[in-house]
Amino acid sequence: MASLTFNHLNKQFGSVKAVDNLNFEVKNGEFICLLGPSGCGKSTALRMIAGFEEPSSGDILMDGKSIIALPPNKRPTAMVFQKYTLWPHMTVYKNIAFGLQLRGLEKKVVEDKVHSALDLVGLKGYEKRLPAQLSGGQQQRVAIARALVLEPQILLLDEPFSSLDAHLRVRLREELKSIQRSLGITTIFVTHDQEEALSLADRIAVMSSGQVEQYDSPDIIYAKPSSLFVAGFIGSMTLLEAENKGSELKLGNYTLPSSEIVKGKDVKVALRPEDILLADANGWAAKVSQVMNLGPFYSLVLAIEGLGSVKALFPKTSLLKEHDQINVLPNRYLIYHEDGVEEITL
Amino acid sequence: MTFLRRLAKDPFGIVIFIALFLFIIGPMISVVLWAFSIQWRYPSLLPTEWGLKFWAQTFKRADILQALPLTLMISFIVTIVSAIICLPAAYAFARIKFRGSQFFLLSFLATNAFPRFGLYITIAVIFLKLNLISTILGVVLIQLVNTLLFMIWIPTAAFKGVDKSLEEAALDVGASRFRVFWQITLPQVIPAISAALLLTFVGTFYETQGAILIGLPGIRTMPVLMLSLINNQLVVQYGAILSLTLWIPSLILLLFARRVLSGKTLAAGFGV
Ligand SMILES: Nc1ncnc2c1ncn2[C@@H]1O[C@H](COP(=O)(O)OP(=O)(O)OP(=O)(O)O)[C@@H](O)[C@H]1O
Ligand SMILES: [Mg+2]
Repeated sequence: MASLTFNHLNKQFGSVKAVDNLNFEVKNGEFICLLGPSGCGKSTALRMIAGFEEPSSGDILMDGKSIIALPPNKRPTAMVFQKYTLWPHMTVYKNIAFGLQLRGLEKKVVEDKVHSALDLVGLKGYEKRLPAQLSGGQQQRVAIARALVLEPQILLLDEPFSSLDAHLRVRLREELKSIQRSLGITTIFVTHDQEEALSLADRIAVMSSGQVEQYDSPDIIYAKPSSLFVAGFIGSMTLLEAENKGSELKLGNYTLPSSEIVKGKDVKVALRPEDILLADANGWAAKVSQVMNLGPFYSLVLAIEGLGSVKALFPKTSLLKEHDQINVLPNRYLIYHEDGVEEITL
Repeated sequence: MTFLRRLAKDPFGIVIFIALFLFIIGPMISVVLWAFSIQWRYPSLLPTEWGLKFWAQTFKRADILQALPLTLMISFIVTIVSAIICLPAAYAFARIKFRGSQFFLLSFLATNAFPRFGLYITIAVIFLKLNLISTILGVVLIQLVNTLLFMIWIPTAAFKGVDKSLEEAALDVGASRFRVFWQITLPQVIPAISAALLLTFVGTFYETQGAILIGLPGIRTMPVLMLSLINNQLVVQYGAILSLTLWIPSLILLLFARRVLSGKTLAAGFGV
């Protein structure tokens, strides 16, 4: 249980800047997700914390003390890898006990710890199995038990559930979250799945080509993505071209209120589907061009004359079908302009 | 059995199959028959007198009693020394990227693709100056040259096949580099390394060219002795019995290899 600070951390592979000036802090006990597209440097950042990669420059501090001089086997971190990395020639018991035995603990103590770790991940009674005799989800749970049993200061997970099916992924996600909460262990979780990040993290660091684009709570990241990149990456968002006319925005034949903070002539308006509401005849005239059933909701694609396609989310009680003509208006939107982003609520 | 069924539809195939069978199995059967015969005169199809008389005689001969332990010892020493030299090298080839590692690996192949005899003669000239001709050390050294290919290529491929993240995971829980190698990496490659050790042992045991050139006249290994027994047309049974005896190591290798190498170890390997 420790805090972690990245201090101008860089990693260069030849000409590739894998991690570019990482600068943020993880509080004691916090659950952080590093989120970003493939190749943006998430794994590299994580591997530098574990000690498998050496930073090109910058520092990593744990509780204020630099750890970059320590070799991986001396760092108080434990990692769960993306692929199953259980040692194939060792039983489940031995896999989990290995690290404890290295610490010279008594046999009885090791036994107790292994059993309670297996209990924690719901695999009691699997001690004698070999990794090859476990399902993918079970293997990944053993890998988590192997990391947790050492009571690390910091738990690192590199897309641990990405090779599992959606159902299992959601279940293990919930289990991990409750284990993390009960142990209060500082956790850094790498993922490229925004839904996973939103549901797990206390704070999300959204990364793009080696840099952190935004570091905020899931609520803020979802409600107010700081850049178009983050907006495009998190959740579903419709982006519309607009012209800035001072107090108003001109979108095709329609106008929307703006703010004097908005700079530049050409701006982008971003709309969350759930912020599109039915309106009276003064609203935007829309034709329902696609209806997708999401269980409790309909996810709609609306064709709006002069604006293009807009995504919307309506309750089933709206009883909309394809080709219906309706009127809609947003009650909340974001304006991405030269100097950043402005949120407008009507 | 699909093979046989397909064969049955193809008369030309059957002819070839039978010819191959006779060509390969025929001589082997005749060797076995000779080994257990006392008298076998033309034109009888089978030995006219059976017995183990020649087995007793063969293993009473002083030259054979001397050559067998000597050959076993040389093969043993060569295998051990080769392992000590080659296994760390193989690990380095697999894990450490350095300039020219590909070139080095290929050079081992080159020494094997090259007609051996030329190489041996040049070595023999050097050994003559160093007084290594007709010594155990000389034979061991020449045999070592032969073993490099198997002892480096197979383990290198095997080490490369070990997922690096298995090692990282062990480092991560606090194991030292040495322990990681000993308890994580090595167990993964044991099948492949055992195969390499066996190939080396058997290969050394049977090797004749180098053994003749460097070993004679003082050092006479089993296959060399057998060659001279056969060439002297002494008694057919001696040759047959020695052949059977010399088959034992390769038989062990074959059985062992089937069990160990049937898996992915070799197949996964050769992506050097
Ligand atoms: N050992 C290496 N040598 C050279 N380049 C590397 C190495 N490791 C990573 N890179 C490069 O660094 C960049 C970041 O890689 P990294 O593995 O951190 O991405 P990632 O965000 O984890 O992607 P993914 O989601 O696909 O796992 C990539 O461009 C990658 O090609
Ligand atoms: Mg990665």
